[in-house]
Amino acid sequence: MATDIVMPQLGESIAEGTLVKWLIQPGGAVEKDQPLLEVETEKVALDVPSPAAGFLAEVMVQEGATVPVGTLLARLDTKPAQPTDGIVSRVGGVGIRAKQASPQGEPHYSPAVRQLAREHGVDLAVITGTGEGGRVTKKDLLDHVSARQAPPPEPPRTGEAPTTSPEPHETQDEIVPFTSMRKTIADRMIVSRRTSAHVTTFFEADFGGIDTFRSGRTLTYLPFVISAVTRAMQDLPLLNSSWQDRGLAIKKYIHIGIAVALEEGLLVPVIRHAGQKGLTQLAHEVADLAERARSKRLTPNEVLDGTFTITNHGGFGSLFSTPIIHQPQAAILGVGSVQKRAVVIADAIAIRPMCYLSLSFDHRIIDGATADRFMAKVKQHLQQSDWEKLL
Amino acid sequence: MTTATAVQETETTYVDAISQALDEEMSRDERVFLMGEDIGAYGGAFKVTQGFLKKYGEWRVLDTPISESGFVGAAIGAAMMGLRPVVEMQFADFISCAFDQITEVAAKNHYRWGAAVPLVIRAPFGGGVHGGPFHSECPEGWFFHSPGLKIVAPSTPYDAKGLLKAAIRDPNPVLYFEHKFLYRRIKAVLPQEEYIVPIGKAEVKRPGKDISLITYGAMVHLALEAAEVLHQEGIDLEVVDLRTLIPLDKDTIYASVRKTSKAIVLHEDNKTGGIGAEISALLTEDCFDCLDGPILRIAPPDTPVPFSTPLEEFFLPKVSDIIAGARKLAAY
Amino acid sequence: MDQAVVAQDIKRSDLLKMYSYLRLTRSVEDRITALYRQGRIVGGVYTSHGMEAIAVGYASALNPDDVIAPFHRDMGAFLIRGFSPGEVIAQYLGKQTGPTRGKDGNVHMGDLKRGVIGFVSHLADNMPVAAGAALAFKIRGEARVAFAGTGDGGTSRGDFHEAMNFAAVRKLPVVFFCTNNQYAYSTPVRYQMAITDVVERAKAYGMPGEIVDGNDVAAVYLASRRAISKARAGEGPTFLEFKTMRMHGHSEHDAATYVPRELLEEWKIKDPILRAERLLMHLGYGDESYFHEVGERAKKEVEAGTEFAEQSPLPEGRETLVGVFATEDEVQP
Repeated sequence: MATDIVMPQLGESIAEGTLVKWLIQPGGAVEKDQPLLEVETEKVALDVPSPAAGFLAEVMVQEGATVPVGTLLARLDTKPAQPTDGIVSRVGGVGIRAKQASPQGEPHYSPAVRQLAREHGVDLAVITGTGEGGRVTKKDLLDHVSARQAPPPEPPRTGEAPTTSPEPHETQDEIVPFTSMRKTIADRMIVSRRTSAHVTTFFEADFGGIDTFRSGRTLTYLPFVISAVTRAMQDLPLLNSSWQDRGLAIKKYIHIGIAVALEEGLLVPVIRHAGQKGLTQLAHEVADLAERARSKRLTPNEVLDGTFTITNHGGFGSLFSTPIIHQPQAAILGVGSVQKRAVVIADAIAIRPMCYLSLSFDHRIIDGATADRFMAKVKQHLQQSDWEKLL
Repeated sequence: MTTATAVQETETTYVDAISQALDEEMSRDERVFLMGEDIGAYGGAFKVTQGFLKKYGEWRVLDTPISESGFVGAAIGAAMMGLRPVVEMQFADFISCAFDQITEVAAKNHYRWGAAVPLVIRAPFGGGVHGGPFHSECPEGWFFHSPGLKIVAPSTPYDAKGLLKAAIRDPNPVLYFEHKFLYRRIKAVLPQEEYIVPIGKAEVKRPGKDISLITYGAMVHLALEAAEVLHQEGIDLEVVDLRTLIPLDKDTIYASVRKTSKAIVLHEDNKTGGIGAEISALLTEDCFDCLDGPILRIAPPDTPVPFSTPLEEFFLPKVSDIIAGARKLAAY
Repeated sequence: MDQAVVAQDIKRSDLLKMYSYLRLTRSVEDRITALYRQGRIVGGVYTSHGMEAIAVGYASALNPDDVIAPFHRDMGAFLIRGFSPGEVIAQYLGKQTGPTRGKDGNVHMGDLKRGVIGFVSHLADNMPVAAGAALAFKIRGEARVAFAGTGDGGTSRGDFHEAMNFAAVRKLPVVFFCTNNQYAYSTPVRYQMAITDVVERAKAYGMPGEIVDGNDVAAVYLASRRAISKARAGEGPTFLEFKTMRMHGHSEHDAATYVPRELLEEWKIKDPILRAERLLMHLGYGDESYFHEVGERAKKEVEAGTEFAEQSPLPEGRETLVGVFATEDEVQP
């Protein structure tokens, strides 16, 4: 047996009321006289007790709607609703409801929709939503984006119409939306290419001394390179500078950025005051920053203020590269894979662990001779340092 | 007969897969031994160890007094001395008697003073068998909050066997929750060759693009059934079987939700403070920007597991609950 | 203890060694108490002051490959098992060089390589664990013994009874003991159990039991040795009740005003170190100058240990995250 629930007349002069809230979820059980819904009129706001015991079988009016007095709001049934066509209490209790867009209020967008709109530069107001309560869903947004990207319809042909119209072009490609990190990287790379006059110079260094020193120690090559770079900068501070509109800014501090590859892109955490740190400390910071970069636990200021960047691209065997400068810095050093190669030393062929070093520099600031003098210093430090004293 | 007839591929039940894993590991490694109530001559309340006493003798198939805390404690001691005990809780419900030994001793020993405790506790859990409040519980949530334990809960014979073998070989205390509703209802052809299922790896049991349904244990089968129905309606459910609860395979969960942007977590343990709550929180923390709807939990109400048939049916999540939830979320 | 029996049953060198461990135990704990009062130790300090004979006695009776699960007032057992005063004090100071590297404090030390199962605050929890160690010995047919105990209060817990029962049923090579020091924190034995002697409990499990004078190191040693031999010979577990008196508070923050002063006066004269000295003098094994020399040696060792501990580094905060799970190579062979 069904019982109708109608909008009550709450005062002689009242013609309509707003259904503020269902206090029982659709499908849920209600006792006689248990508050069933909240109603608001111009004069009063109150709970409406249920006229009978039963289950809230059918809901005709949603929360937020204003309807005339006497409007059928819902129906109570003495039997619970069928599990699949009604809503089962278990999930009914969760109460997923899209917040209705009110005339004054902002419409509600999910995090995914907001994120994608940012990435694609979409004004959400222009999209018609198909979700609950007219919500713009992720699919609505992606559909909008692909429609926007579709080529404009061809102008009508004046010549002879083809006998059969061609099938609409359908792409089979899987479209993976860009992550924000990917988009940031893309922007920065293009900007850097446009900003600096990139030139790359290549040197080769013998890592034999470093290898001997490393044996029995858990040190990677990177701390050695950082150490050599910071010391070479003391002679050639131009490498640690930045082009600014008012002039060239020679940096007081050496903050070395380390490029860390992640699955979804690349981060460049910074070792601050790298010139003042020993190998052990550098090794510790490199490991710590890389680990936290990968697990996304870097703090924002740990990727700021770099004055020079080192990218260790040799991990998979790359020999040399032409790295792109991390703006607004003046140069970036690429470190290739260390490989044993036959080299000529004192007219004899020797097998030595060799490494190519690629320096991309901004020719606006640095000329070739300066860059090569810097690299010669780096090489000298790499090959001839007393590392024991630099621990 | 020694003719070269192809061996007929026989199907193995979930419960037999567990027995096979125990048998294989006991044959492979003499450090492995079993402890529990009525596991010897009787072969265990669910007959998992039937025939083991005869094969392995009373010191490797050890009947214990009714003394869960005592024999779990003893298993911890034996494990620290280098044996590989596998303890059977007659019902997972009784694990509460051993709570202190599991959470304070087994879970903390390595962290505190470096003692490895390679221990497995098998716990037959879950409802649907008219067991009532003391024979139907899903107590995994209690231990989910206790660092130092690993927790697995297989849903298929393949996983049941492979995960138990992995658990026995793990150097840490592993709680192995086996669903007794599945014991004799689920069968599969298992590989002839030896295999393990690594701890810590979830598996997508059915790929889909619209909603990720994250679950484990017996609920996996309900999820797959619901996915079939929803498929007809054009709602494409991806069913992620966690298999391991600790350590949780966040990569697989996140990859799925990043793809679908919508998630339902389904479990048979009570809703409040359960594994679903944790996964929901993780998704909000780590995948917020990819969510296109609220994260839904489908789980029993916060009551003990009731006995009477209509009560237990009401209590347990049903296929229809999943369908209703998925529809709502799809329409959101 | 009858001097003739002692002379006959305990080697002179063993007895002298026990005496030196009594002195070392007291020196270590006196130092720890002082550090606590100086605010240099945080957390709880639970000493064995006046009860040193128990741990020293039983630990001296065990073989090196036997395993112990000590009570929380068994400092002497740790020292005999090779934990140096420096390591022990480092543990109390939460230093990186302590056996738990700062993960746990005070007497919660363990090391399987030295056959010591780490103490768990939940009293009697390690009794089933020790039974399990003994079970492993039995399964593997090894002639090793486990030795584990708790206090009078700890015998009220279920794990005590489950361990006693299981060990007795399976005749495991384990010796259980109770340090009956008459108070569990502030609760006297009479509110802990309706029996006077804890040893009564053993009967219910069909286990032989013995009351031992816990302040007589020779008596503790001999009773433990008998029980250990029986266990090793496959004759099953024994329960030993060591009668003693807790002379300090539950921990050093506790003034123990609930203990009648007369009772403490009565037990003061039974101090295990004084008793050991009387015994050694009667047997002609030592005199005042010898005792003084042993005491000085102990103090020196403790001072060196204190220096080591104080100079040791504290663990780094991030060490917190290390060690929740074990790796395969850490499993005991």
